[in-house]
Amino acid sequence: MNGQYASLLIALPLIGAFFVPLIKGAGKKAVKYYLIAITAVQTGIAAWVFQQVYSTGKPIIVMAGAWRPPVGINLYIGHFAALFILIVAAVSFMMAVFSLRAIEVEPIDKYAMLFLLLMLGATGMIATGDIFNLFVFMEITAISAYALTAYNKTGEAAEASMKYIILGGIGSSFFLIGIALIYGSLGTLNMAQIAQLAGNMNATVAQVGLALVIFGLAVEAELFPLNAWAPDAYQAAPHPITAMFSAFVVKAGLYAMARLLYLMQAVESWGSVLKLLIIMATLTVFVAEFAALRQRNVKRMIAYSSIAQIGLIALAFALGTQSGVDAGVFHMVNHAIVKALLFLAVGHVAVTLGGAEMERFEGLGKRMPLTAFAITIGAIAAVGIPLFNVFWSKLRILLATLGAGYTWAAAVVLIASVVEAVYYFRLVHLMWFAGEGERISEGLAVSLILLFLAALVVVIGVYPDYAWSIAQKAGSDIFNVAQYIENVPLMGVGA
Amino acid sequence: MISVYYFGAISLILIGLYAVLVKKNLLKMLIGLSIMETGVNLLLVSVGYVAGRSAPILSEGIGPNQAVDPIPQALVLTAIVIGVATTAMALSVAMLLYEKYGTLNVEEIRRLRG
Repeated sequence: MNGQYASLLIALPLIGAFFVPLIKGAGKKAVKYYLIAITAVQTGIAAWVFQQVYSTGKPIIVMAGAWRPPVGINLYIGHFAALFILIVAAVSFMMAVFSLRAIEVEPIDKYAMLFLLLMLGATGMIATGDIFNLFVFMEITAISAYALTAYNKTGEAAEASMKYIILGGIGSSFFLIGIALIYGSLGTLNMAQIAQLAGNMNATVAQVGLALVIFGLAVEAELFPLNAWAPDAYQAAPHPITAMFSAFVVKAGLYAMARLLYLMQAVESWGSVLKLLIIMATLTVFVAEFAALRQRNVKRMIAYSSIAQIGLIALAFALGTQSGVDAGVFHMVNHAIVKALLFLAVGHVAVTLGGAEMERFEGLGKRMPLTAFAITIGAIAAVGIPLFNVFWSKLRILLATLGAGYTWAAAVVLIASVVEAVYYFRLVHLMWFAGEGERISEGLAVSLILLFLAALVVVIGVYPDYAWSIAQKAGSDIFNVAQYIENVPLMGVGA
Repeated sequence: MISVYYFGAISLILIGLYAVLVKKNLLKMLIGLSIMETGVNLLLVSVGYVAGRSAPILSEGIGPNQAVDPIPQALVLTAIVIGVATTAMALSVAMLLYEKYGTLNVEEIRRLRG
């Protein structure tokens, strides 16, 4: 089949969102099943694209209107994008199934529309090959995320959404200034051409531009000190949306950051930008782990843990070495699986028992054994115990950090990880060894998804080689910029 | 060469940032956000501006060498639309907040902590 069909990945959610009001006429249930159908088709297309890219080893490049870049806008679906588009679509599908149970607040049609737009935005951010287009997709993601955060219409939700809007507004302004500086000195918006010309850029302008872009994306990517919105939004948003935020919206921001960072590696002042990012990432891990320790709400606690893991990924990307990028990508995959599992399970408990405070988890092992089992697997994996998937990626990140000579960063990360073990084991203890309760029915669809994700965690943990080889290919897609430039069929304009 | 527009744009951005960070009233913060966006848009347009050239519209006597760069103008149009969407979103959330809390003072709207 023709590679241009990959553009359906962008088109399908958009058209799907457009038709939601028509489906609404058929009833509330119909909208939910429609959402499942669209995300299932999207997963199918993403799986096809993944299979194509990994079997041929060549990226799929979609050129809008058949104009060659840099005149036209292109989508670049290489190893990394193919992998993450599949993750975005699969997680969206699972959360659409979970929405059947979790979303009772009206209006369902608005929810379905924003859900699809959130998926579209993340897919677009990962696939695009043009920095201004990246900005547009980032704003689509951000605006649907603001609206979804406020969806529950409580005071807390509105407050969380407002924090997010203000930080997001500042971030997107910074990002746009960064784009203006890069465009002003290179005269192009196409990523491949930016990478080609980056060496000619004035070192100071490049440094400021890149730092502004990173600050702008740090809001989406939840890096300290721009992550103040995240725990509030995670706590207040509907449960499936929380899982989507953690599993891929943040990842899209991180990826965009890593991609832009490595595109500009020919710039002289590159090293100082890396140092800035390393400091931000280490602080993120440290602050978030200690904040997680004193939370009484489990959803908020896992949100802080998620931020800490994101800091770890950012640290890996900021090392500037091939092994660091590979480890970062591997951790992104593992983190997406584990956090989808944890937020799904915790959301499931919150829907069934009416809240996510610590006390509700007492005796969960007797009331909802399967969900408690899933949370246990997720918690043990997140701490980084051997034979679970996160262990391998954490190990690789630490080795890469030591290899790049940042012993202090590795030490900080290790100390923070000990704290992580404390609060996760507290939760596990509370579930299995405290409280009593009657068994409650757990719902077939959600249980199946939980089992599938838990199985994935263990399988990758026991046999990490296959996942690691995929992550290595995806990592070299980001790191090997010369290959990236070669792959995009640039027209000889301006160069 | 540094044009005077850059100074105008940067000062607008800084004024907006000041309002967002310092003001206590939510509406004033949102106005600050809008001022900041305007400043960014002005900066983008001035990146493509060349003194003495005309708008990039094909007409008599104006070839590619006499026109300014059209791309920043197209970008700014998009950025303005996005800015309007963000502002509309923010205002509707502000309405919801006022309904729930009865105030727009950000120091009183602080239920979420830690």
